[in-house]
Amino acid sequence: MIAVETLVKKYGAFTAVDGVSLSVAPGEIHGFLGPNGAGKTTTIRMIAGLLKPTSGSITINGHDLARAPEAAKASLGFIPDRPFIYEKLTAGEFLRFHGGLYGMDAAEVEARATEMLDLFELGRWQGELVESFSHGMKQRLVMCAAFLHRPRAVLVDEPMVGLDPRGARLIKDIFRHMSEKGVAILMSTHTLEVAQEMCDRISIILRGQIIARGTVGELLALAGGEDEQLTPVFLKLTGGSGLQEIEEAL
Amino acid sequence: MTTQPFPYLLLPTLWAMRNRARRREHGDGTRIAIFGGLAAMVGAAIFGIVFYLTIQLYDYAELGDYLIRLGFSWLFLTFLSFLAFSGVVTSLSTFFLSEDLRLLLAAPVARDRLFYSRFVKTVGQAGWMVATFLVPVVLGVGLARCAGMRYYVVAVLTLVPFVVIPVAAGSVVTLILVNVFPARRARDILTLMGLLFAVAIVMMLRFLRPERLLSVESLPDIAAFFSTLQSPVTPLFPSFWAGETLFASLQGSHDWLHFGALWTTALAFTILARAAFGRYYFTGWSKAQEARKARFTRLRFLDSMARALPGGPAARHLFVKDLKVFLRDTTQWSQLLLLLALMLVYLYNFRVLDLDRIPYMSGVVKNAYAVVNLAMAAFVLSAVAVRFVFPSVSAEGPAFWVIRTSPVPMRSFLWSKFWTGLVPVLIVAEALTVVSNYYLGAAPFLRVLGAVAIFFMTFALVGLATGMGAIYPRFNAENLTQVAGSYGGIGYMVLAVLFILVEVALLGWSSSIRLWHEYRGIRIPPSQVALMVSLLLTAVGIAIATFWTAMQRGIRALEALG
Repeated sequence: MIAVETLVKKYGAFTAVDGVSLSVAPGEIHGFLGPNGAGKTTTIRMIAGLLKPTSGSITINGHDLARAPEAAKASLGFIPDRPFIYEKLTAGEFLRFHGGLYGMDAAEVEARATEMLDLFELGRWQGELVESFSHGMKQRLVMCAAFLHRPRAVLVDEPMVGLDPRGARLIKDIFRHMSEKGVAILMSTHTLEVAQEMCDRISIILRGQIIARGTVGELLALAGGEDEQLTPVFLKLTGGSGLQEIEEAL
Repeated sequence: MTTQPFPYLLLPTLWAMRNRARRREHGDGTRIAIFGGLAAMVGAAIFGIVFYLTIQLYDYAELGDYLIRLGFSWLFLTFLSFLAFSGVVTSLSTFFLSEDLRLLLAAPVARDRLFYSRFVKTVGQAGWMVATFLVPVVLGVGLARCAGMRYYVVAVLTLVPFVVIPVAAGSVVTLILVNVFPARRARDILTLMGLLFAVAIVMMLRFLRPERLLSVESLPDIAAFFSTLQSPVTPLFPSFWAGETLFASLQGSHDWLHFGALWTTALAFTILARAAFGRYYFTGWSKAQEARKARFTRLRFLDSMARALPGGPAARHLFVKDLKVFLRDTTQWSQLLLLLALMLVYLYNFRVLDLDRIPYMSGVVKNAYAVVNLAMAAFVLSAVAVRFVFPSVSAEGPAFWVIRTSPVPMRSFLWSKFWTGLVPVLIVAEALTVVSNYYLGAAPFLRVLGAVAIFFMTFALVGLATGMGAIYPRFNAENLTQVAGSYGGIGYMVLAVLFILVEVALLGWSSSIRLWHEYRGIRIPPSQVALMVSLLLTAVGIAIATFWTAMQRGIRALEALG
């Protein structure tokens, strides 16, 4: 599971993340929503161990990230928003390298890499250089790597960017399957339909603070409207749509 | 709709340059001071040499004039080949690989305007270095010969068409290449060609053995030497026209024929290039966008080799990954060719060094040279380290998140970088020192000392490069050469030079004690032995401290990232 307690990140006088607490139970898909610049990616990057928090604590599957970073990271899978990977490695080599970093033995990596590549429909590209992959293929390769070492918690930053409808459907099915197997998934996204369709609970962050949390039903009730879609609720909670101004300008 | 003239398309480049000049980055002052100082020194040295030679040649009347004329032709001929090659490489980037081309090609920009704006950019990028180098040469000759203002105006008016001609020809070659090969493959081929060209120039210049000119015994050969120089100067090349035009204005007269030939050819080449681009550019550009299956070497032997290496699985995987990425990137491994050429020239210098001409002193000089050789080998080694080892952390680039989110401690990561860098550099350093000392005929004691000393110095210099590369990483650099020239890279070179000077002073002092007594056949007194040992131990201590401190600070810097 993922547990975050009063997480703060300051850049000089600017506070990007201001006392965020959340927990993702095993088997739960937790959506993390917020407008641009609200602090989503900063929070995700701190949980992934890419940024040092100013204060607060992060525990992954019982391991404190600050005190036992290797143990915490060993049980976490991370899918970043932009799939930067080594362009001069083949997909298979990248997965073997990734498995090696997580201490998997060679035979285990081979079998699991083939399984993951087939699952994400990249099997026939195993021997090709990453530099010849499209954005969506790189994104799927990063997902193969994130699930390769059988993590018990997965952190996802904008999973659907660059994926075609078939790829998006595939990812949704895989995430759901993984959560049924007990994997805790924390997913940051702008695609509200995805959040509504997939997440057990959702946290909404604005100006570095969590302003609302609950199931989709609870959030709809919290907004007090009669809509059955998250979009109007999200716009209402995060401070108006600005759509009228846009329409006027156009 | 108003159509802006083609220079409008150059505005983003100019604005970017202006913004870069306004922006202040950490270490800008140091960088400007070091690079500016070096550039000023090089410029002053070129000016001084050219000025001195021109004054000297004045005494030889017609022969002196002939040599200046020949000198101009050779200078322009060298630049001509450089510019043609530079034009090929630069136009590949400006016409086919630039990120902003998609924006421009999607916008309603006429092909002619696009061609002219890109061509001007290519000419500027390919020619600025030649123009900068020519300034002290033109000034040196002009001031020594008290040339009038017209000479300098003609120099500028000669340079413009002289640069345009080879760059236009180079751009057309690129256009053909891109229509035949995919652009990225063409870039690899060009990079390789460029390095082979540089290697050939270095080897050719060295194997001409210009030092023979200074030797009295080889006087009869000088005529043959000049006839060799004269042979490639052909009246059909723009380099000859440029040389003749400039020489005529130096003499106070005009050479309208060659001046006219330069300008008309430049205009004709530009028009031809525009026509070729109008016809074939879009086809080539489209081909450059097609993602084809890349051809590459599997390098499976590295996986088997790694299994035999000591260290944990993570370290072995990092090693294999680093080597595969390096060997599959032509822009990286091909630079080893230049390094190999420089090593061969370095060793060749020792092979042809004729110290036996001074029989009485040759023993002393040889041994003094052995110490100098140690310093020079260490300088070569630090240059190799700044280019290949210092950028090794930055080489992870935007993919560094893969390592940082994995359960691999930064300590293991940096040590893996150190060992991957150390082994090849150590082999190069030992080979250079041992072979050059053998050719030099240094005393056996100095040969052993050199081999041992370079071993410790390599540890220190590679450790310093790895550690400082981690302290000053540039993960967003466009290429690794940029990383080597960054603030951290310059800082590394400054520290490396200081370290080498201290080490060589300590080693030179201790070995001089032994050699002084050996030449006189005297037994070394115990106090001097103690001094020698303490000097050697201090040298070893400094090397270990440098290596260890840099690595520890590098590890701490990586752990504190974010």
